[in-house]
Amino acid sequence: MQLRTRIAVTFLALLAAIIGAALFAVSAANQSNAQREIDRQLEVGRLVFERVLDGNRRQLTQAAQGLAADYGFLDAVASNDAATIGSALENLGARIGATLVELVALDGRVLATAGADAGAGATASPNSPSLHRELLAHGTSGERRTAISVVNGHVYQLVMLPVKSPLPVAWIVMGFALDQTSVKELAAVTGLDVTLALHTKSGWRAAATSLPEGSASRALTALGGGSKADLDLITNSLTLATDTAVPVTAVLSRSLADARAPFDRLRERLVLIALVSFSLTAVAAFWLARNITRPLQALTSAIESVRAGRYDAPLVIERRDELGTLAEGLQLMQQAVESRDRDIRALAYTDRLTSLMNRTAFVGGLAEALAGRAGPIAVAIVNLRRFRQINECLGYAVGDSVLKQVATRLTEAPALATHLARVAGDHFAAFTPLGPGASLEHWGTQLLERFAKPVVVSAQPIDIDAVVGLACAPQDSADSEDLLRCADLAVERAKRDNRTLRVYEAKLRVATREQLSLLGELQRAIDENELVFAFQPKLQLQTGQVVGAEALLRWRHPTRGLLMPSAFLPFAERAGFIRKLTRWALTAGAAAAAHWAREGRALNVSVNISADDLADPNLDSHLRQALSAARLPGDLLTLELTESGFIGDPNQALAQLELLKTHGVKLSIDDFGTGYSSLSYLTRMPVDELKIDRSFVSAIAGSPQATAVVQAAIEMGHSLGLSVVAEGIEDSNTAADLAALGCDIGQGYVYAKPLLLPDFEAWCSAHDAESARVTLVPPTDTVVTRLRRRFRPPATG
Amino acid sequence: MRWRGTLALLAFLALAAPCGAVALSVHERGAPVADVVVVLDPLDAPLVTANSHAMIDQVDRQFAPRISVIRTGTAVDFPNKDQIRHQVYSFSAAKPFTLKLYAGRSAPPVVFDHPGLVVLGCNIHDRMVAFVAVVDTPYFGRTGVDGQLQLNVPSGRYRLRIWHPDLKQVIAPQQLTLPGDGTPLAIEIARAAAPITVAPWPE
Repeated sequence: MQLRTRIAVTFLALLAAIIGAALFAVSAANQSNAQREIDRQLEVGRLVFERVLDGNRRQLTQAAQGLAADYGFLDAVASNDAATIGSALENLGARIGATLVELVALDGRVLATAGADAGAGATASPNSPSLHRELLAHGTSGERRTAISVVNGHVYQLVMLPVKSPLPVAWIVMGFALDQTSVKELAAVTGLDVTLALHTKSGWRAAATSLPEGSASRALTALGGGSKADLDLITNSLTLATDTAVPVTAVLSRSLADARAPFDRLRERLVLIALVSFSLTAVAAFWLARNITRPLQALTSAIESVRAGRYDAPLVIERRDELGTLAEGLQLMQQAVESRDRDIRALAYTDRLTSLMNRTAFVGGLAEALAGRAGPIAVAIVNLRRFRQINECLGYAVGDSVLKQVATRLTEAPALATHLARVAGDHFAAFTPLGPGASLEHWGTQLLERFAKPVVVSAQPIDIDAVVGLACAPQDSADSEDLLRCADLAVERAKRDNRTLRVYEAKLRVATREQLSLLGELQRAIDENELVFAFQPKLQLQTGQVVGAEALLRWRHPTRGLLMPSAFLPFAERAGFIRKLTRWALTAGAAAAAHWAREGRALNVSVNISADDLADPNLDSHLRQALSAARLPGDLLTLELTESGFIGDPNQALAQLELLKTHGVKLSIDDFGTGYSSLSYLTRMPVDELKIDRSFVSAIAGSPQATAVVQAAIEMGHSLGLSVVAEGIEDSNTAADLAALGCDIGQGYVYAKPLLLPDFEAWCSAHDAESARVTLVPPTDTVVTRLRRRFRPPATG
Repeated sequence: MRWRGTLALLAFLALAAPCGAVALSVHERGAPVADVVVVLDPLDAPLVTANSHAMIDQVDRQFAPRISVIRTGTAVDFPNKDQIRHQVYSFSAAKPFTLKLYAGRSAPPVVFDHPGLVVLGCNIHDRMVAFVAVVDTPYFGRTGVDGQLQLNVPSGRYRLRIWHPDLKQVIAPQQLTLPGDGTPLAIEIARAAAPITVAPWPE
């Protein structure tokens, strides 16, 4: 719920509760007050009513008494002076407004009458006036009596007094008619409606009432024992006469609606006040809430834009209250955030050393360029070879200077790339849209050319050996990170291949991916004996006799089949796993050689040793264990190592070789001619064999220069007392040529490809059988002749 | 009741011997009744008036005696023995009069010269009521507290009238012959418990 709504709703709910409680209280009070008020009015009215009747009675009595005690009147009665009596009664009736005045004999005969209703009693029943009989019937003491009586259907309040002279001789009867007029007077005096009810044979009947026409019957229902609940009258009945022939009851009533009217008016007024105050409060609450929440909304949207990275949102609220202060604070905060954001951005996206972009910025920029790409985008990674040596030999300060210079070279005009970054230590990255017809390699070459001249640090020129890996969007990848990785793979491959430029190819990635997953399985491969050897026979070129075999590692992978070393060795090497593999190879190679030796076939088994193995201080003991386990004489095992093994620490390598040599094993230099090994080391190394690289061997066929190099190598090896092996012989001509050149041992597809153990043994048996039939005649002469022909100087030819 | 009384009287008369006196006893359900007026009008002898005197006092706001029987022509004195004023009046047909009586001051006597019942009242004090039975015969009297009345009457025929203010029923005058030998005469009467007026005087 919005704050505004919440504030308003809270206010209104509170107010509604208060008003509701007040209304309820007033209503409840009204109800009970009205009831109490009516009850009180009825009670008071009843008392007043009684007092009025009492007063009437007293008035009648006093008047009658006055007459009864009057000597003259007594005289008139005694003398039966009818005229005097009549005038006296007339006078008396007029004096108090009595409607009925009569002089009645003791036996009930009416002697004289006066008043408005004169003769009512007599008329009622001339012979036996019921009214007076009733009065007389109760008159036993001869004293005065009062009664409410019904005469001719009219109600009278009567007083009867004896006329004594001194004994009672007659009665004076005086009365007021309780008719419509007097009932209305009673109603006015009591403040209640008055109904005089007669109980007749057919039930209660209203003799007189102050109630409006039609309402009297409702007042009578209260007498009839009817339900009072549905009456809108509250009644109080007063029995006036029960012992007369016609019982008379006065019903005092009050209209409920009338009684409640003032309370209802009060309630209406209260409801009106409630409505008005509720409306006013609603308006005020909404206004107040709006006044508060509108600036808050402005602030919120401003904060929202700050969150989105925009710092220009207006944050000024012209108020002197808390909201104004808040806005001011937020504005200061916005400025602080903006300034800090700038710093963080600088830190996050800039390389502090070279002021180029950093990797994050570069990737972001590349991603943007890719998103809005119109054509191909070229990505390059420039790596410095031997930068570590620069750092180590010349110090980090020089290294940093070199990096700065490299950055400068890359940024120099003309600009080669739209974005340049240093993505890691000595890795620089660049990308640029590739125009139509532009060549990726050409661009890479342009980058390389920037480093043709050495950089100068502290007046000292330093050669920059840069390697460039290239990748191109969209064909290589459409993802910025991935493109960078492609270029990275390319540069790594270029470094491994000793090249300066390499364009990414999909296979680089596949190999890498496979190697990565295989690495995890390599340990299992060793444990589960999934590694096997493929043996390629080494033959004496002169005799064709099998003298040995090179044991080449194969991985019988449970799901991928037989894997070549290239699929897993480079990563095993980098992951430091190579030593374990070498240990396995030594053991397995020794075991194989021992196995054949026991069968009477003296085959020298060659096992490859990597450069990393030479740094392994345990290699010596591993070798010893392998030999002793197989009980193999050392001279049946050859360790082949590449020239690269001597690059890192030649002296340590030499010491290791000397140590290995003590076990009697033979040492061989593999891939001779491809490395940069110094010949001086060669003379110092305790090796027994040279293996001429297959690139030279395969070139012999069509290249006299290659033949010359091979010949020189063979002669050099021989002059150093080394046995010379040629590997990669693929045809018999080459084999013959090598034999003619004096190469001792040959190895290659012309004889056999690397074979798994059963196949190898089968091949050996077959070869032995063939050798027994055919005597190989070395074609030495022809080869030499041919060579001589080739190297004949042109002048002589 | 009347018949019972009558029968008893007739039975008595049948048995009575002629005598110069008569002894009356008035009872109400066996109890003697005082102040019953008994009048014997001689039917055979002429009636004579008498110039006698009688007196009705006013003591303690009461007439004393409350019931008097006098012969016609009797002058009655009304001495006021109270220290307050009284106004004695009568509206009775036999003798209407008014006397203003002051304490200690004597008023001239009132001569009751017509037979009949005179009811006396006091105009000041409503409760003061006295009855004066005025008769033409010398044979009359009131019963005492024992309900007895002794009358000396010569034998002969008489009309017997019996009256009391509270009589429930008027006892009709009876003719009877008295032997004059003092034979007792028992009379049974009935009175109203709360009379509203006075029993009519038997003329």
